Amino acid sequence: MPKHVRRLILVLLGFGVLALTVRHFVVDRSFYRYGHYRADALAEIARDQPKFRGTAYCQSCHGAEYDAWAHSPHNRADGGGIVKCEVCHGPGAGRDPGHDYIHAATGPVHPQNLHLAVPTDTRALCSVCHEQIVGRPAQQRQIVIGDHAGAQQCSLCHDVHAPSRLKGAIAVASLAGSAAAGQRKSAACIACHGPAGVSAAGLLGPTLAGQNRAYLAAALAAYKSGARKNPIMLGVASSLSSTDIEDVASWFSSQKCAVVPGGAEQLAAARKAGAAMCANCHGANGVPRSDAWPSLLGQSGDYLKGALRSYASADRSHIVMSTLARGLDDAAIERVAAWYSTAACKRGREDE
Amino acid sequence: MSDQESTAGVNGGRRAFLGCLGGAVAATASALLPDPGRAALPASPAAPAGDAAGKHQWAFGVDATKCIGCLRCVEACKAENEVALDAHHFRTWVERYVYVEGVDEPRIDSQSDPVNIAASGSEQHYRFANRYQEEKVEKAFFVPKLCNHCTHPACVQVCPTGATFKTADGVVLIDHTYCIGCQYCVQACPYGARFFDVENRVTEKCTWCYHRITRGLLPACVEVCPVGARVFGDRNDKQSPISRFLAENRVEVLKPETGNAPNVFYVGIDKDVR
Repeated sequence: MPKHVRRLILVLLGFGVLALTVRHFVVDRSFYRYGHYRADALAEIARDQPKFRGTAYCQSCHGAEYDAWAHSPHNRADGGGIVKCEVCHGPGAGRDPGHDYIHAATGPVHPQNLHLAVPTDTRALCSVCHEQIVGRPAQQRQIVIGDHAGAQQCSLCHDVHAPSRLKGAIAVASLAGSAAAGQRKSAACIACHGPAGVSAAGLLGPTLAGQNRAYLAAALAAYKSGARKNPIMLGVASSLSSTDIEDVASWFSSQKCAVVPGGAEQLAAARKAGAAMCANCHGANGVPRSDAWPSLLGQSGDYLKGALRSYASADRSHIVMSTLARGLDDAAIERVAAWYSTAACKRGREDE
Repeated sequence: MSDQESTAGVNGGRRAFLGCLGGAVAATASALLPDPGRAALPASPAAPAGDAAGKHQWAFGVDATKCIGCLRCVEACKAENEVALDAHHFRTWVERYVYVEGVDEPRIDSQSDPVNIAASGSEQHYRFANRYQEEKVEKAFFVPKLCNHCTHPACVQVCPTGATFKTADGVVLIDHTYCIGCQYCVQACPYGARFFDVENRVTEKCTWCYHRITRGLLPACVEVCPVGARVFGDRNDKQSPISRFLAENRVEVLKPETGNAPNVFYVGIDKDVR
């Protein structure tokens, strides 16, 4: 073999050995184990600690909140998903983006040097999913924020952990009284509330016909206990036993009067009249969504104005109404009262 | 091996010899330098490390008909993976397609749109602004996007160091100790799923929360989705959410013409979604 070829082979061999040596030291041992990458990287990436811990983790300390949530629509997977704790509160472990929210009890530490978000601005939080915006599918429950809540926080009316549970809904005795007995006991009412509870011009009291039984009973109980202040009503209510109250409430609630306004157009008109916020509870035509709330059917404008002003001035107090009424100026009170007093005496539910 | 080849080359004349020499150099080089083609194979014969072990075949589903654009997924992803808290770096994001009457092309905005950032009031929290109210909107929907963890990922093919790779269980990952920050992969990805982490000088992307799925948890975005618009699971398990999602729906993938064969499957999107 010629000398120069031998030399060339030696040089190539040298290169080969050098290349293998370099490869041995430079390339990671695990590099080709599974393919053209460092196998150890898998374990390194998988080593990160999960920050979202799931509802069971939250439940271990916050049982009451968990129970409220568990029976709420947020835990109903009809749409395919549920609103877990960490959707609103952020990750149970790890950092909270922005550190905006600090845990009320433990400060920024939850449970050990970890941040938990306790949202205080429920208006901003809830509207992230429930504000009506272009692109949001129809099956999602959505609100026009201004119409629905004015400038209020969602948590004013809604239980944040069980949002379908409304704070304004007062639990009232479920036993219905006897309407017939109530008619006999209602003689004292007619002077101010009109025969059969239909008030007319010149009479002092509001229309009671068709009013919700539960609301009537709660109102009488409130007069009797002094929670609601009215000298005439205090006198009348103190003479009634709890059975009497149930009977009288049943009698007036069983009385009906005329006119049934429509649904969607009615709501649009109410919105135009500035009464959309009221319509959330009292309905667009004055028929409320819950029996615990008063019907505004057939009430006179003067009575409604008076009621709103007494809420605003704290003569009358209610968790929702007081706050809302304080947000209304005189012009708004006039508008709302005018809207709900348009029909003299109405009946029927808008969803019927 | 290279020595035998070069010896054989001597008998075939100078031209053949040089040809063989070139081949030998190429063979030596290929042993040393990365060969992207090999790494792009869907599954290596050996099982990968950790709990994954290659017995899973992970896949992701997106039901755009359910997405409400609440962006909880985007915030959860940032928190879970400690992604930069600004309006420009996202491992997952949501786009809104709005078709205005009389206009052919949809208007598209995402959470990083200045109007939407103004609505949220912060670059660290995200929400879609209540806009297009004056327009006559024919149709509008949200489309969550993320890395497609393609079966034939272009990003893996172009990586010069073997820093990005596809695992046997179907996840495309980045080895940050091997990433040199050349951003070739950012350019190669047809879906814009990768971005450059300026602070650490490495490329970043969605891992389907590899640290969660190897522990039997769901990716953070799936965990927090309040409407079930995001679906994740193992295609090898016929009862998994993703297997049922694929069986029950007519699905499509983004940009099938690129040949990347994505593993994120969509329902309810339009032809303009790419």
